[in-house]
Amino acid sequence: MAQRLDRINRLLDGITRNRREITTPEGVMLEVDIANHGERLVAFLIDFLFWMLATVLLFFVLGLTLLHGVTGSVTFTVVLFLSFLLRNLYFIHFELQSQGATPGKRIVNLKVIDRSGGPLLPGAIVARNLTREVEIFLPLGLFFAVPKIGAGAEFWTAASYFGWAVALSALPFFNRDHLRAGDLIAGTMVISVPRRALLAELAEAQSRYVFSRKQLDAYGAFELQVLEELLRRPSSPDTHGMHLQVCEKISRKIGWLEPVPPAETLDFLRAFYTAERAHLEREQQFGRYRADKNEPAATGP
Amino acid sequence: MQELPLLYRTAASSLSVARSIALDRNLILYLEGLVLRAFFVVYGPRVGILEALGGFLKRGFPQAVRGAGWHILLATLAVAAGIAIGYLMVLPNEAWFSLLVPESMAGGRGPASTADQLRRTEIFAPWPGFVDSFVVFANFLFRHNATIGIMTFGLGVLGGVPTLLLLGYQGLILGAFLALHYNRGLLVDFIGWLSIHGVTEIGALILCGAGGLVIAEKVLFPGRYNRLHSLAMAGKAAAGLAGGAVLMLFVAGIIEGGLRQLIASTPWRFAIGAATGVLWTAYFLSIGRRGGHGSAT
Repeated sequence: MAQRLDRINRLLDGITRNRREITTPEGVMLEVDIANHGERLVAFLIDFLFWMLATVLLFFVLGLTLLHGVTGSVTFTVVLFLSFLLRNLYFIHFELQSQGATPGKRIVNLKVIDRSGGPLLPGAIVARNLTREVEIFLPLGLFFAVPKIGAGAEFWTAASYFGWAVALSALPFFNRDHLRAGDLIAGTMVISVPRRALLAELAEAQSRYVFSRKQLDAYGAFELQVLEELLRRPSSPDTHGMHLQVCEKISRKIGWLEPVPPAETLDFLRAFYTAERAHLEREQQFGRYRADKNEPAATGP
Repeated sequence: MQELPLLYRTAASSLSVARSIALDRNLILYLEGLVLRAFFVVYGPRVGILEALGGFLKRGFPQAVRGAGWHILLATLAVAAGIAIGYLMVLPNEAWFSLLVPESMAGGRGPASTADQLRRTEIFAPWPGFVDSFVVFANFLFRHNATIGIMTFGLGVLGGVPTLLLLGYQGLILGAFLALHYNRGLLVDFIGWLSIHGVTEIGALILCGAGGLVIAEKVLFPGRYNRLHSLAMAGKAAAGLAGGAVLMLFVAGIIEGGLRQLIASTPWRFAIGAATGVLWTAYFLSIGRRGGHGSAT
């Protein structure tokens, strides 16, 4: 199943996304799309922005209430401490509250899940977010604390902090599941959950075209679902051109002799889809599933 | 909300049926998405942040500490070895002190300091006032210690040797200070000055190191599982150790920054240090022994 859906996406849109199977406690296999690097970066940046806004807002309020009699170093300390607290609470709170999605992840349609399909436990969320501190914020904070244009030792200290942050941030590029260090430790992964709507049924009740069994044996499930995707695309000159092309190919393949007028292309394709799907589903129920046209067709009577 | 699990199972079985009889791609994808989203709700975390933190303090942290017995022992040994080496090096020859202890840590203390100086500016230094001690200094100490603690933890990924070295180095610094004060006849006062916060602080450091060693063990000896799997299973406990230790360091920072100079008598300092030690031990050994409903960590 995974293979098939993946092939269709690759053929039509050139999307190559890693997929991973998880088994729910009920024993149902679900395939999940692993989040891309880009999506995760965007989600993180959105969260970062929210966190900065919240921190600025907090200090604005604090500044209004506690303005008098505070020295610079005290303010600085309070700023550092509260932003540290706010940052960790932000990530942990939202991942607990909305099933593994911070606002940034929610906007990009990402979710944190348990890697083996079990329930996502609070401990895992706490662990993966505390590790974020070690991965990025702590070394970067230290890096900015060290004077940059120093001689010898100071330069190397700064470089090692920076190298630490870069090396750990690059970790998702070096494994198939795009895990960062926190995901490794907490046993989680981040997946993409696109929203899909249930569309109308494509199959038609009656049609003018009649296909013979031999003609329907030309294709398998893969070709059928590619055709379905094409038929579900919003109509545009581009889509229409594609329909014409596909229609011509199918006619040639199944030996459809009378030419299909361009205006009736869509009708023809729909009729063919309906007949082909009915045929393949019937075959499937008899235990003769056919993945694509390269598999030998069942030799019926 | 009560019906959700039932609806979820219905959807899951619909998906199974659809997969076996239908070839409608949109229908199957829609059902997959539906089941996946319901799965998140049914099996997602259902506690708020306060509950999660409470559960961590009540069960997760003490359990993690109890589960890491020999790692803690090893980390303690590393610190103890560091202390012994530092002490023995500096005792006969104080020139080692400035080599072992970085300038920012020494804070003006060194072979040149006299007993009187140490007594006035360090051990019985005047209390700098509420804001400076509780806010600025405590926070500085907390950030400094947390950095070291988290580093010992993070370096566990590299196989544990850097963790042990870093722990040993912290012990080395401590040993050097001990020798310096011993030579000036201030050893008891210094240990008192240290113990009031040191019990908490060094304990936290050892826990961080133990967390790093748990990680290192799983990286080096994954056992029956593959490395990733074994890391994922132990990682939560290890991160729990480090996270809890950071909280301990927060407490230590407050004691060190504020209370230490406020209480200017060595016996009282010993008493408080011993009390914190007893409290932490009792906390780790007794809290959360009875299993709650399932595991919270």
